Amino acid sequence: MKRYVLLIIGLAMTAIYLFPLYWMYLTALKSSTEIFQYPPTFWPSDTQWNFLEVWKSRDMGRYIWNSLLIATGVTILATTLGTGCAYVLSRVRNVWIEIALFAILMMQVLPSSLMVTPIFVMFNQIGLLASPRIAVILAQTAKVLPLYIVLCRATFVQVPRELEEAALVDGSSRIGAFFHIMLPLARNGILVTSVLIFLQSFGEYVYARSLIAKNELQTATVGLQTFMGPNANDWNGIMTYAAIYVTPILIVFMLLQRRIVSGLTAGALK
Amino acid sequence: MQGIIRTIRDGSGFDILLLGLALLYLIIFSAFPIVYNIIMSLQTVDMFTLTSFNRPFVGLQNYYDIFSQPVAGTIFWNTVKFVFLSIVFQLSIGFGLALFFQQDFPGASYLRGLFLAGWIMPALVVGAIWKWLFAGDFGVINYALTSLGIADDRIFWLSDPNVALYAVIIANIWLGIPFNMILLSVGLASIPRDVYEAAELDGAGAFERFRSITLPLMRAQLGAVISLGVIFTLQQFDLIAALTQGGPADSSNVAQYWSWQFSFQTYEISLGSAVSVLMIIFVIVVAAVYVRSTRHEHSY
Repeated sequence: MKRYVLLIIGLAMTAIYLFPLYWMYLTALKSSTEIFQYPPTFWPSDTQWNFLEVWKSRDMGRYIWNSLLIATGVTILATTLGTGCAYVLSRVRNVWIEIALFAILMMQVLPSSLMVTPIFVMFNQIGLLASPRIAVILAQTAKVLPLYIVLCRATFVQVPRELEEAALVDGSSRIGAFFHIMLPLARNGILVTSVLIFLQSFGEYVYARSLIAKNELQTATVGLQTFMGPNANDWNGIMTYAAIYVTPILIVFMLLQRRIVSGLTAGALK
Repeated sequence: MQGIIRTIRDGSGFDILLLGLALLYLIIFSAFPIVYNIIMSLQTVDMFTLTSFNRPFVGLQNYYDIFSQPVAGTIFWNTVKFVFLSIVFQLSIGFGLALFFQQDFPGASYLRGLFLAGWIMPALVVGAIWKWLFAGDFGVINYALTSLGIADDRIFWLSDPNVALYAVIIANIWLGIPFNMILLSVGLASIPRDVYEAAELDGAGAFERFRSITLPLMRAQLGAVISLGVIFTLQQFDLIAALTQGGPADSSNVAQYWSWQFSFQTYEISLGSAVSVLMIIFVIVVAAVYVRSTRHEHSY
């Protein structure tokens, strides 16, 4: 009996917490007159499906494409650079490795909004701002790479040393052992961490806003921000935009939820 | 030449190469910008000298200029309030939820997982949703408050200078709850069941068990969550950009947003770097304390 009372309280708390999400979907489905009704309605009386119109009129395809491009670039760059580094940090132990790990942990905490000033000036001077999406990829990779290394290292730590040593005894080279033994065994952790940094970069805002000047190269976050403007009242459209943007993120997250949670907690506390 | 190839293929050269690539990247795109930032904060950098490599040094003038800005005090206290209140509520609500979902009932871990939806969403989208929830005339929060009798009249959350900062803090608490809850849940799960059972046999009540077992055993975890909270709260930018943009009249402005405004809205880039240098130093100190404490935890 007590268990069911707890379940009901738990459901109620989850519902209260997720109310903003419900409100987003609800507003997206309401008609543009219904959203300004007071008192507000909690179920759409006249459901509107204007997803396609918002997608077209706000040119969302282009924004989402830019976001995807940047997130993909960041993920590829960070996994390429980070996986090997995470592996070495999990295997070798000496003072230098400790210092390197400490430095990486420190770089993980630098806020983008503070780093963007020197990065902007530096990129401007070396002419990188001429290809602004690449500039955002480079800056965002520097932001997520430390997190990727820390989480991936936690995965490599769990792979038994003996498996790699056995391969080396059998005459495999270090490179061979890394690619044929270590990578396949750490595959799940690498995959989940990559998804995590992909999702983070897909929602990146500061660098895109500050380094990209041309509207047609902007990302979905900046597109949403322009849509919101100073005197926005098309909340119907704004929430439709938001719903289109976050639904794929939420779906991916729900599918991988358990793994993301365990990877994340392992990394944050070790 | 042959030796180099062999060591990369088979020796410690392999380690150095893998480690070196990532570190080199981080040095170029993270460490160097920090150093460059410090240099810029001692120079005059604006639209005219932006691309020049030979800018005049002005000593600590920029730091003097920021502190003599009339809004400097407001922004400092806003930042303190923003961090302090966000963490107090994120932590207590997160801890409460972690304790609740620790109990044995059907679907507990599944429901707990649903909370993370708030954490994975882009903060700018979260800001957009909260902007609509907070809307003065048609916002659902005002409707709930007035119909429950908590507020007499509609509150203009985002345009009233007395409440704008609190509106941003509320949204930030919402964002931070899942992370706090999950990290604390992990800590709670690692406390052995039999400690509680023994205490219960000794006649300790629920509150007594919490005070004498849970709190002391969670101390390290709580310390970690608080330092991570400070770090994440100081990273918060998107939410402010979506909700109030620091306004009205800087009443909800915080240091990290102020720094960005200097550099990208008024183009007083050297002032932006000066604020940024001070904040980065603060964040790094917090992070160093946190990392030291967690590594210490592991060594015994």
